[in-house]
Amino acid sequence: MAFEIPKTAYSGKIKEITLGKGEKAVTVGGESSYPFYLFEGEMPHLPRIAMEVYDAPPEEWAEAALEPFADVVSDPVAWANKCIKDYGAEMICLQLASTDPNGLDRGADEAAEVVKRVSEAIDVPLIVLGTANHDKDTEVFRKVAEVCHGKNLILGPVEEGDYKQIGAAAIGYQHTVVAASPIDINLGKQLNILLGNLGVSDDMLVMDPTVSGIGYGIEYAYSVMERMRMAALTQQDDKLQFPIICNIARETWKAKEAKISEAEDPKMGDAKKRGILLEAMSATVLLLAGADVLIMRHPEAIKLVREMIAELTAS
Amino acid sequence: MVEQGENLLQAAISAGVRVYASCGGAGTCGTCKVKIESGEVATTRTEKLSDEEYQQGIRQACQSRVMTNLSVYVLVESRLEKVVLASEQKRVSQVLASGWRFKPPLSKYFLELSPPTAEDNLSDLSRLLRGMRRRYNLSHLSVDFYVLKKLARALRKGKWKVTVTTLVTASKPRAGEERRPRVINIEPGDSREKHYSLAFDIGTTTICGQLLELNRGKIVAEHIAYNGQISYGNDVIARINFSQKPGGLKKLQKATVATMNDVIEELLATSRVDAKHIGHLMVAGNTTMTQILLGLETKYIRLAPYTPLANFFPPVEAASLGIKLDKHVHLYTFPAVASYVGGDIVSGVIGAGIHQRKTLTFFMDIGTNGEIVIGNSDWMVTASCSAGPAFEGGGVKHGIVASEGAIEDFDIDHASLEPKIDTIGGKKPKGICGSGLINIIAGLLEARVIGQNGKFHRTLPTKRIRKGSDGYEYVLSWAKETQIGRDIVVTEVDIDNLMRAKAAMFAGFQTLSKSVGIECRDFEQVIIAGAFGNNINIEKAITIGLLPDLPVDRFIFVGNGSLLGARLTSFSTDLLDDARRVAQMMTNIELSESADFMNNYIAALFLPHTNAREFPTVSKRLAKISK
Repeated sequence: MAFEIPKTAYSGKIKEITLGKGEKAVTVGGESSYPFYLFEGEMPHLPRIAMEVYDAPPEEWAEAALEPFADVVSDPVAWANKCIKDYGAEMICLQLASTDPNGLDRGADEAAEVVKRVSEAIDVPLIVLGTANHDKDTEVFRKVAEVCHGKNLILGPVEEGDYKQIGAAAIGYQHTVVAASPIDINLGKQLNILLGNLGVSDDMLVMDPTVSGIGYGIEYAYSVMERMRMAALTQQDDKLQFPIICNIARETWKAKEAKISEAEDPKMGDAKKRGILLEAMSATVLLLAGADVLIMRHPEAIKLVREMIAELTAS
Repeated sequence: MVEQGENLLQAAISAGVRVYASCGGAGTCGTCKVKIESGEVATTRTEKLSDEEYQQGIRQACQSRVMTNLSVYVLVESRLEKVVLASEQKRVSQVLASGWRFKPPLSKYFLELSPPTAEDNLSDLSRLLRGMRRRYNLSHLSVDFYVLKKLARALRKGKWKVTVTTLVTASKPRAGEERRPRVINIEPGDSREKHYSLAFDIGTTTICGQLLELNRGKIVAEHIAYNGQISYGNDVIARINFSQKPGGLKKLQKATVATMNDVIEELLATSRVDAKHIGHLMVAGNTTMTQILLGLETKYIRLAPYTPLANFFPPVEAASLGIKLDKHVHLYTFPAVASYVGGDIVSGVIGAGIHQRKTLTFFMDIGTNGEIVIGNSDWMVTASCSAGPAFEGGGVKHGIVASEGAIEDFDIDHASLEPKIDTIGGKKPKGICGSGLINIIAGLLEARVIGQNGKFHRTLPTKRIRKGSDGYEYVLSWAKETQIGRDIVVTEVDIDNLMRAKAAMFAGFQTLSKSVGIECRDFEQVIIAGAFGNNINIEKAITIGLLPDLPVDRFIFVGNGSLLGARLTSFSTDLLDDARRVAQMMTNIELSESADFMNNYIAALFLPHTNAREFPTVSKRLAKISK
């Protein structure tokens, strides 16, 4: 008898969720096997990459990360358009960094205005991330949800401390939520249940398990995501069968190893190459753990990850 | 007399005023509040006192030093009052152990000896032993030295008619050897009718004693009192810490013995039995309580790798510990399994008869330190889960131990969100007891006043949900309806504390059952022990995820299992041997070493549980309500 490779028995499937509206809407999820285990199941929608845009000129960014966007950093609309036109972004992630109460503390109205302008200028799905300050995010997202009614934005992070307020706004104005929990499978599941109890429908939710970059505990993120997928696919845990979104750019690029110049520490080598590789490698690790959407920054890193996805899924 | 500068809590304890101090005087719990009516104290103020309280002259006794003569009022909720007695409990404890032979380890034998003569000039002792051999066929006796001191006089005073008391201990004879009972006492005349012993449960919070009549195997009297150690801390860790202070162990030991003496005095008074007719003392307690009672070092119980001093303690002369009983009375302590699985659990297992049957059993003792046992007559595994004091009212804003005026039942109108409460003794409410808190949380969950994460839905149309000094809260009772003159509330912090306690118990259960590959539904019976356990509403306890979601008829209450076991072993030498065997057969699983435990714990920090499949009937009911 010929040898047969043992196969995992899958009993569950990740929900298919459509992000954005119109022709350029993106569907993610739908996996019926572990990531890239195409010999065991299907991955009907490839993982997607959303490119980061900031609502205010970023401070303390590594030179390498700033360089491609130097001409557009003070105009989020132009920045988003550049990502789409020059780098083929399929999604945009607008980081509302300027609303941080410990920073510029821009008001909700102003933030909503920026979101509205960006959303009207682009046709790809728009992820909008706040600062994880519960009071401020509540205020901002109430306004954002309202002025972008029906656009199916992806709003987050929605955490246990503000899920009711932001969740209600998302339900009312038809947006998808990013359920964010602090790197724990149970806490992640609990938030999904709470959002379900609140009335967020299953096709309007993606999970953010909280990730970190290489060298900063990425193995924990990997392990949690891996266990989420195991529960979802082999233990019929329907409260974990949601696509996973990973906000990885911010995490990798804020690390000292991504920012320090070669002049400052020659043994670290070329700063640009180092930053790009850190981002690309971190993203790859998360892909293998089950990421459906990666939020990334550097065009070169994105290119590397796209190639990796293509190779892993080549038939 | 109190010295200037003395700690007010210590002064109160020395004066015999009983003040609740769940943190042991560290200033962190805020339960020892007193009102300074006149005089002056020097106080370190903590965040446990609100501005309003501070202005009213309310202080934490433990944080205050006496500066002048004082008049102090102990707030109602800070007083240690009588615990609810077993007789007031809703359910009657069940004796589950069965088929045991009534043969107490303590026996009395009456002898009529012939006086010595020139022909028969055996020594007094040999004469006694010959009598025991001839009359009762007992030839392997050992004799306590104490008996020799009394022997000559007792024989002659009784005109060669004497009553001999013997005791067998649990040490199993080697194969082929006969058991060697010890002669521990001799009394002139026939005193067989006056044959008593004592059984005690030394709990961290309460001490419960029974006076037993050994000819007929009856309970003559029962009494319960707060463990005098309670003013030195709420849980075993606080006590161990206290015992490390200079003179601390001695203080704790004395406090326990004082409480035991009070209980004994009460037992003797109500039953009109003379102390000299008590021949034995059987004590079950957790490892820490046992070691403190014996005056032994407890430090290593709390340091990894958590070693108890001994698993089997030899019998000790009770009087040498300060217990007011005759010199011949020995105190026998139940063998312990591990640092956090003590003799009380072994005793509970014996009382519940788990070691006698093949029935797959889950045994849980719910208390400050929750212990669980899984198994049957062939094998047992056990673990201890540190649940914290929430079940006994600790760490809960208006938490009190089960006593009169404690809210124990709760219902809520799903439309108006108005509560209906019942208190113990029907008195005006003064706080919430552990079982009350379970009922309240289950009620609030089902009425959708709180979410599955235990947080209030803040926008509901009721003035009972409001923001208080500890975050959001629900008013159970308005100030004017209470004994304490303040609104009685349940806060999100309280709910959180109870959720942690129940999560620790349930995660322990899951981890332990998984370690032996058993599914929840396979358990044929769930035995619940612990004085608190008796008042639990099973369905509500399942609703919040404390007890596994099994049919209600599989749950059995044994009440104070530790006391039950202590009583039964006082009646049966066989069970005494069983206790030794059970302590040896139990495998302790250290949950703090288990990677699964933390995962299960976080999963259990949800109402009823993160995995709805663990609680199918509750999940179904909650889903129905939400529709």
